[in-house]
Amino acid sequence: MTAVAPLFADPYRQRFATFMADRREPEALTRLRRAAFARFEALGWPTRQQEAWRLTDLSALQALTLQPPAEALIEAGILPTLEDVPAHRLAFVNGRFMPGLSHECVLPDQASIASLREALTLHPERVMAHLDRVPGLEQQPFAALNTAFLDDGVFVHLPRGTALETPIHLILHATGGDMALHPRLLLVLEEGARATVVVEYRGAGRYLNAPVTELTLGAGAALDFHQIQEESPQAFHLGGIRVQQDRDSQLNLHLLAFGGQLARVDLDALLDGEGANCLLNGLTLVRDRQYSDAHVRVEHARPHGTSQQSFKNVLDGQARTVFDGMIHVRPHAQKTDARQSNRNLLLSKQAQANANPRLEILADDVKCGHGSTTGFLDPDAWFYLRSRGIPAGQARALLVHAFANDSLTPIRLTPLRERLAHLLAARLALDPAEGERTP
Amino acid sequence: MLEIRNLHVTVEDREILQGIDLTIRPGETHAIMGPNGSGKSTLANVIAGREGYTVTAGEILFDGKDLLEMTPETRACEGLFLAFQYPVEIPGVANLYFLKAAVNAVRKYRNEPPVDAMDFWELVQERMKLVKMDESMLKRSVNEGFSGGEKKRNEVFQMAVLQPRFAVMDETDSGLDIDALKVVADGVNALRGPERGFLVITHYQRLLDYIVPDHVHVLFNGRIVRSGGKELAVELEEQGYALYNEEPGRARRAA
Repeated sequence: MTAVAPLFADPYRQRFATFMADRREPEALTRLRRAAFARFEALGWPTRQQEAWRLTDLSALQALTLQPPAEALIEAGILPTLEDVPAHRLAFVNGRFMPGLSHECVLPDQASIASLREALTLHPERVMAHLDRVPGLEQQPFAALNTAFLDDGVFVHLPRGTALETPIHLILHATGGDMALHPRLLLVLEEGARATVVVEYRGAGRYLNAPVTELTLGAGAALDFHQIQEESPQAFHLGGIRVQQDRDSQLNLHLLAFGGQLARVDLDALLDGEGANCLLNGLTLVRDRQYSDAHVRVEHARPHGTSQQSFKNVLDGQARTVFDGMIHVRPHAQKTDARQSNRNLLLSKQAQANANPRLEILADDVKCGHGSTTGFLDPDAWFYLRSRGIPAGQARALLVHAFANDSLTPIRLTPLRERLAHLLAARLALDPAEGERTP
Repeated sequence: MLEIRNLHVTVEDREILQGIDLTIRPGETHAIMGPNGSGKSTLANVIAGREGYTVTAGEILFDGKDLLEMTPETRACEGLFLAFQYPVEIPGVANLYFLKAAVNAVRKYRNEPPVDAMDFWELVQERMKLVKMDESMLKRSVNEGFSGGEKKRNEVFQMAVLQPRFAVMDETDSGLDIDALKVVADGVNALRGPERGFLVITHYQRLLDYIVPDHVHVLFNGRIVRSGGKELAVELEEQGYALYNEEPGRARRAA
């Protein structure tokens, strides 16, 4: 690893000392934090000389003097809902759980859905048995930083065979003020458990949100996980997702990204049991000078695993996206079926989509495929629609919608899918400045 | 209703149309015939407003209005329709949705309210029969996976729903077997009337057995070299276009 960037590490060391002072928590957690902070210092602040950060320009973030989270009040009305679908709803403002904005539903026996802070108080052993146990993101300094500074978040533990019918709806709202937020979402589904989870990141003003999500799926468990990233246009989002799947488990993971001046998600999925299956479905819409980045690694460690990655980006203005996707098949993971697709649609000649699809296959009896395309809207299709009377802007929106909409189709939670469809339509109600755009 | 005067068009600095004059009155059906590379499709595309063509001289008037000043969508809203030689596949846009968007765009242009859902559905049902189209095609994406014949039928179906005042049929017969050709021709004929004009562009006389034109023009090397009645099509079928190759003063052009 490259040398530490000392100018940056020092303020963090100060911050960490302040953070640790008078902290009352399980000793194991303190040890975890100290180890994580040491790892953060060893990794250092990412530089663009590192391959994984080559295109991620953090200088605007680095120039900020980040502040610890502060309490704030917000109107309940600005938070999104799942319409008439009842949900276990946990709302957070600036990383802190807000019971007044949350809603509890009846839980199955032994199941736990709580704020991380509360869970650490009520049953610390249960939390500590799972916290920071999912491998992955070892080289990601912000993931280490999250463990060092985690303060609140979510602990979901579904024991063996628990089928949670009611979706879990997590809303994390930030109010700006250059705050640095490190929420931790810890979800553990034991053997045969089932759940649907919606995470929504949103906010106003400028802040850094650096969440880490850990998903553990026991044998035969099934999880529909949706992450809707609608951070404020000034925000920085540096998120990490770590996934570990046991035998025959099924993960449907939907990543929808719309916000942030700079947003990056690093995702490591480890298929660590025979016949594990994961679907990774990503859709990003960016415009103006937004930067959006997805670094995805799917690790097939056992035979008969299947994975499908579909990542789509729609770029307008001077926006930039990165898709860096790796499929890694270990030597004994025979009969793996792994697919990866990245499609980028450019609505402006100034937009830039970067794709880096990668395969590393060390087994000899597998099916793996990947593909990446980048292009403008089809001018023939555009003309065809206009020749029937449909105005230029509407015709373009129709075509973009057609491109993006099939990323919403696999979302089974109807009110969410419909809300996202509306969001998509609203984002595509493009302004009439035709000149700069393509085709 | 459509007046083309001294139209010169270049594509990438090559002059494709070299002075076209053509007047089509309401109720008339004109056929333009010509070999490959004569400029037939260029004429259709320039009328519809496709990009990539430069009009270097001349004008096209549609009911006295300057057509070349209008965007493609304005032309359509004014009542112009182009049946494409190669209809475009548009994955993810359902045929019915597309058609309704088109109908409502035209209505909005005319300051009319959006079409009533029931009225629209009835119109669609009725017009589908005209081209013997299966209802399942409405739910499918526009032209996606359609056979050649289905695509052409879909063009005529759209025309039947949009009810333009003037339609250009660009080689609608190409790639059709005789049964599909009859269906398409029947669809066009059902729309013919005293207020509506047609410009039928074709390479072969065959289509004109079914859509019988009032006037036939021969387009060759970017010029209309001959005009006549429907009997001209028969004559061309017998003699081919070779005759025009030998006309003095006309350079032969490879398509």
